[in-house]
Amino acid sequence: MKLNETQEQMINRCSRCGSCQAHCPLYLATGVEPLVARGKVELLEHLIEGRLEWNDKLAEVFSTCLLCGNCGDNCPNQVRVDHLVREARRDLVAARGLPVIKRTVFQQLLKNDGRLSAAARLVCFYQRSGIQRLVRAGKVLNLLPGGLTVKESLLPRLAAGEFRKLVPRVNRGKKSTLRVAYFTGCMTNYVFHRTGRSVLNLLTGNGVEVTIPEQGCCGLPALAAGDYDTAGELARRNIAGFTQSEPDYIVVDCASCLGTLLEYPRLFDDGGTFARAEEKVMDISRFLVEVLDIKLPPATKDAGIVTYHDPCHLKRTPGGKEYPRALLKMVSGPRFVELPADAGRCCGSAGSFNLEHYRLSREVVKPKIRALEVMQPDIIATGCPACMLHLEHAIKDASLPARVVHTVELLNILT
Amino acid sequence: MDKDTVKKIKSVVGSEYVLESPEERICYSYDGTARRGIPALVVLPGNAREVAEIVRLANEKGFPIFPRGAGTGLSGGSVPAEQGLAMVLSRMNRILEISRDDLLAVVEPGVVTGRLHRAVEKEGLFYPPDPSSLQTCTIGGNVAENAGGPRAFKYGVTRDYVLGLEVVTPTGEIINTGGRTVKNVTGYDLTGLLTGSEGTLGIITRITLRLVPKPRAVQTALAVYNRVEDAASTVTAMIRRGIIPATLELMDRITIRCVENYLRLGLPMDAGAILLIEVDGLPAQVAEEMKLVEDACRQNSCRALQTATDAAERERLWKARRAVSTAIVQIKPTKISEDATVPRSKIPEMVERLKSIGEKYGLHLPVFGHAGDGNLHPNILVDKRDPVEMEKAEKAVQEIFRAALDLGGTLSGEHGVGLLKKPYLEWEAGAGGIEYMKAIKKAVDPRNVLNPGKIFQV
Repeated sequence: MKLNETQEQMINRCSRCGSCQAHCPLYLATGVEPLVARGKVELLEHLIEGRLEWNDKLAEVFSTCLLCGNCGDNCPNQVRVDHLVREARRDLVAARGLPVIKRTVFQQLLKNDGRLSAAARLVCFYQRSGIQRLVRAGKVLNLLPGGLTVKESLLPRLAAGEFRKLVPRVNRGKKSTLRVAYFTGCMTNYVFHRTGRSVLNLLTGNGVEVTIPEQGCCGLPALAAGDYDTAGELARRNIAGFTQSEPDYIVVDCASCLGTLLEYPRLFDDGGTFARAEEKVMDISRFLVEVLDIKLPPATKDAGIVTYHDPCHLKRTPGGKEYPRALLKMVSGPRFVELPADAGRCCGSAGSFNLEHYRLSREVVKPKIRALEVMQPDIIATGCPACMLHLEHAIKDASLPARVVHTVELLNILT
Repeated sequence: MDKDTVKKIKSVVGSEYVLESPEERICYSYDGTARRGIPALVVLPGNAREVAEIVRLANEKGFPIFPRGAGTGLSGGSVPAEQGLAMVLSRMNRILEISRDDLLAVVEPGVVTGRLHRAVEKEGLFYPPDPSSLQTCTIGGNVAENAGGPRAFKYGVTRDYVLGLEVVTPTGEIINTGGRTVKNVTGYDLTGLLTGSEGTLGIITRITLRLVPKPRAVQTALAVYNRVEDAASTVTAMIRRGIIPATLELMDRITIRCVENYLRLGLPMDAGAILLIEVDGLPAQVAEEMKLVEDACRQNSCRALQTATDAAERERLWKARRAVSTAIVQIKPTKISEDATVPRSKIPEMVERLKSIGEKYGLHLPVFGHAGDGNLHPNILVDKRDPVEMEKAEKAVQEIFRAALDLGGTLSGEHGVGLLKKPYLEWEAGAGGIEYMKAIKKAVDPRNVLNPGKIFQV
């Protein structure tokens, strides 16, 4: 395995002090070293020096990382093991190829919007037609290999149709002065239409013209699996779609997509097009607070106790921690309550991690569920649809009555 | 390790707590140093009985056991040797009791120190030892290494808080030492002997810790000096006034510059030293002590002084100190962290000697540490890929040890001997001292099963 100079320096800076143990959700859930950042760095050193070669065990170790980046955020030596793990997965793909299922998904579905939406329609039909009920009742799933029953229940309930096809391409507000391009992400497009509608309402209601350009998957699922080629292709398509009309800002409602978009210039050489657009790319909360300086009246109706879950990929972007809270406090005032520190970490969703490592991802979310059981909030707001999905599943499992919503949805409901 | 032995171990702890693959074993080959040793097997026992059974098996089959907690040590003390078994005690992590009436806590060795702090502080109690790795290191490791921390000057080190232990002996018996009382002189002080024995005399499976009431108030001061001598005389002046600060952290000129270059906090680049001082206790007493601290700083030519009472302001003053670790690795990636310690009165002389050692070898050698107890942390910054630099560093370390001993100090204030200081132990302990230690080791561990090769060679 070969690394670039920056990555090599990072490995060299890791002193194995073990600080990452206090911040890695997987280590905190399991207590074993192969799952913590410094263990992976040690293994990487062995790989680079040729003392280890890729095998099933090593592939398993490197697949077992949430890429939440909490280790890097708290590393005294600033080692970004999340970046190194992704690099390792890229090397793994080069050495051994992608697993068949991922290859199919990435190279057939993600790259091809038509096929993705056809697949989505199929799943949607399955869920709505009553076949799902029949399958569940008939316990057919129990006959399938381990854990598929729960995995099936993790599948999002798809919305009817695609959000991007249901709304106009250009949405003018009253006296529009700003032009925003909206990156909807796959989750809003296929699952959480309510999030998309809230974004449109809030923006157009506040004098912003919202365009929904040609776009597809941000590339994160492929990137996280080490398939940089697919990710690069997706990135180039999005870059073309979002830079053509020269919008004032590019707004994103999904923390995971935002994190990926912000990495485009470093990951994929497009001749600098997107590097110029980079400072325009921001989370919807940041746009509302920083650009619009929005002032929301305190809610007239009481939504009850509101708390907030920090998506890993939002909290380290500018204002990623403060702005959503500022907005929630505007409408909820004293009814906004913070989760305790140890319940504030990654929820364990991490893209498809919760499918591949179901039991582990349930362990990761436990501290949060325990805190929520004590707090008994009515609303859990967050800024990432992937977290929303995972949290919905976890709270349903714990029989908690709380509703999981995107920050903008709550703002939209309450104002 | 032969198949039969592995099978037996699995039947003791359960196969999911035995890690066999090379990939997993590699992840237990290190601590916080550059030393490495890949164990033949990794075992995570769940209780003292399982530990004892494996130790008996080790005596029978003749394989060594390398006990460890979180593996954050700075001496190589828990690094395994090939053919040995790494015994990870992090699964045994229950806080069994916190008694407000007896002022004590009973815990298993795998409890993370920071978690214990939070748990006892919730009850209005206080466990003072605070090694800087407290968010990850475990109590078992703290006891085995007799860990210290910034609060040692006022509150002492781990040994001062260990009342009793449950220990699996090197031959596999489970014994109890000490108890639940502050006073206990029944027989040898085995608790004292085992505390700091670096895993060579027994495996600690349960610990009874003395607690104190939590201080109700804390105040912090940050004083800047032109000369390190003035900072040192401030420390002496405070002590003469009868004040023992809870924290007394010193940063030398090189450290200050590193931090300022990294964070731009507005620290003066030409300052010779910074002292971070914290007093704690009852509110009225703290207020009075802080006045005396300020007097001591001013009378000893401090050129700037800031104080803080509320948490946010205090945190602001701590910012520079907390940034040191990150700031200094910006110069060079590899940090060799030493903990040679001198009597308090020798601090200015030690700082001076460290400076000239750094200059002699052309090495970056920032000094920051615990000025109250003389435990300065000279850190040599190098690049481990550069063999010439590494050789210079090795020589510099030897000179640092010589300097500390010349000034009446010790090789290691809080990290322990382990592997790194093993070659130099005789300088301090003498041949007779080492023989005495070896005699104890041989008597309790006739087959040399527990952590062999550490501290000295039997």
